[in-house]
Amino acid sequence: MSIGGFIIKNALRNKRRLLLSVLSAAASLFLLVTLMVVLRELTKPPSDGDSSLRVCVRNKVSLASTLPQRQRSEIEKVPGVVVCSPFVWFGGKFKEDEQLIFGTIACDPEKLPTLLQEMKIDPAEYEAFVKDRTACIVGIDALQSDKFKELGLNVGSRFTVMSGIYPCSLELKIVGTYKGTIDDRNIFFHHKYLDEAMGDWGLTGMWWIRIDSAASMGPVNTTIEAAFANSAHEVRAESERAFQMSFVSMWGGIKYLIGGISGAVLFTLVLVTASTMSMAIRERFRELGILKAIGYQRRELFAFILAESFGLSLLGAMLGAGGAWLLYTFADMKKATSGFFVSFEVTTQMLGIAALIACLLGVIASLAPAIAVSRMSVVKALKTLD
Amino acid sequence: MTPIVTIRDLTKVYERGGVTVAALDHVSLDIEHGEFLALMGPSGSGKSTLLHVIAGIDRPDSGVCNVGGVPVPELSESELADWRNQNVGFVFQSFNLIPVLSAFENVELPLLLMNLNKAKRKQLVDTALELVGLADRAHHLPKQMSGGQDQRVAIARAIVTDPKLIVADEPTGNLDSHSADEVLQILATLSSKPIGKTVIMVTHDPRAAGFGTRTLYLEKGRLKE
Ligand SMILES: Nc1ncnc2c1ncn2[C@@H]1O[C@H](COP(=O)(O)OP(=O)(O)OP(=O)(O)O)[C@@H](O)[C@H]1O
Ligand SMILES: [Mg+2]
Repeated sequence: MSIGGFIIKNALRNKRRLLLSVLSAAASLFLLVTLMVVLRELTKPPSDGDSSLRVCVRNKVSLASTLPQRQRSEIEKVPGVVVCSPFVWFGGKFKEDEQLIFGTIACDPEKLPTLLQEMKIDPAEYEAFVKDRTACIVGIDALQSDKFKELGLNVGSRFTVMSGIYPCSLELKIVGTYKGTIDDRNIFFHHKYLDEAMGDWGLTGMWWIRIDSAASMGPVNTTIEAAFANSAHEVRAESERAFQMSFVSMWGGIKYLIGGISGAVLFTLVLVTASTMSMAIRERFRELGILKAIGYQRRELFAFILAESFGLSLLGAMLGAGGAWLLYTFADMKKATSGFFVSFEVTTQMLGIAALIACLLGVIASLAPAIAVSRMSVVKALKTLD
Repeated sequence: MTPIVTIRDLTKVYERGGVTVAALDHVSLDIEHGEFLALMGPSGSGKSTLLHVIAGIDRPDSGVCNVGGVPVPELSESELADWRNQNVGFVFQSFNLIPVLSAFENVELPLLLMNLNKAKRKQLVDTALELVGLADRAHHLPKQMSGGQDQRVAIARAIVTDPKLIVADEPTGNLDSHSADEVLQILATLSSKPIGKTVIMVTHDPRAAGFGTRTLYLEKGRLKE
């Protein structure tokens, strides 16, 4: 028998208690990792490289306020601007299902390839899209979704899209699909078509711009904002990333909520593990006294306890965090959350945090028993009966 | 030959609720190599306390206690642990084996602290188990053996590091007379030639004391020969 074997035999002496405490550590760490994933999903801005080359220009007053189309020619003149397209969040709904709102965006199709360079689309389909005023392209993930299948929508289909925001509905024809963007669930259609349907509207929701380099971001934004300062339609220009983050900040409250829950989970975890360890050591007090009598040093007894507590919490972490990783990597979380979470990724950083928590837990849980054992007098320990 | 244990004016006082109790009251005593000393006396007379001080698991308030030339009370906690590992074998009244370890593994415990390879450890454990007549029980757990057998395993563990001194606090207190005789016979064998270890045993049983080479009586912390 080795010292390691001795530690394992000690740890395994109450198998049911060991199992229960490993499982409780595992469940807590599973929950923690899940919360971390959710938090990350809710707060991460899409971070493809190109989003730092795109600018969103919106009405300074509010997101709901519109901008006049005549601003476009002024914006196109700003040095550093490569293309400028109108951008309207139409808030599309099927007339068959008014609950479901999907990303329906009016834009200038001719500018789309330059704006969204990561977008992959068949050249013939793109050409069809540009030519036909009533055409739209649908993200591959939307087209393959249950809703589209249920409605029998495919390339070539026509459907009516209603708006949750604008007082009109549009008949759109699906002429192609795209993929490769950060979120392949949107529908793009002609801004011109919307303009007509609104009765020569002359407005847009926002301007969507691509600039020539990341360095132009600051000057372009300043120039555009200055160009319309003191007009009836003052604008706010910011990077696409910053724009998206302004939505994300609505999730701030949730961030605190999740943080609070995580804290409570951690606290419980520490209590459960610490009490398991104390119990395990208390019932072995006499034996530890005997070990001390036959020559075991404090540091060795301390190491036994620490190893046992470490083993317990690391095993829990492996099961819990590892389980979360397996589940979220191999299960279709997009489907499980009905598309709410596109990716549900357990990062190495999260696994690292889980491992770190487990290590800290191992140390904290062994602290009290270890101190008790190092203070223990052999004579007193021998007097305790099992 | 100088005595293995030299004790002079050893004193230890406990205070309990304002009342002081002298567990050891100026005890002086020499124990020779190879003696099998029986310590007797009424309950609370200080037998265990004396044994604990000699074995280096308790400290006196004053006095001298040399064991094998080492002033035991003057060692630090950590020095004491090493000293005990190499010089003292412990046998207690009961419950002194680790229940999840086999007889072999229990006996092996003190050896894990020494720098010995597995083969050497096995050889020492086998010899010790042989000596107490339990070679065939090496892989039994404590609960699979009788009380007498458990106590013999404890004796094997006490002698496996080949210490000069064995201390036993009421080793037969929980045993029937037959098992007790077996245990006492082993202790007697250990103390006589050719092995020649020094055994100090606390007992309430005059018959058990009869196995020893000398009997000392303690009363209220004082020796009465
Ligand atoms: N931790 C302690 N606190 C206070 N008094 C103590 C303590 N340990 C021992 N004593 C007292 O010291 C005296 C000697 O105790 P000791 O255990 O040595 O007696 P003993 O002869 O071994 O008795 P027994 O035959 O019952 O085992 C007793 O009066 C006991 O009450
Ligand atoms: Mg006693």
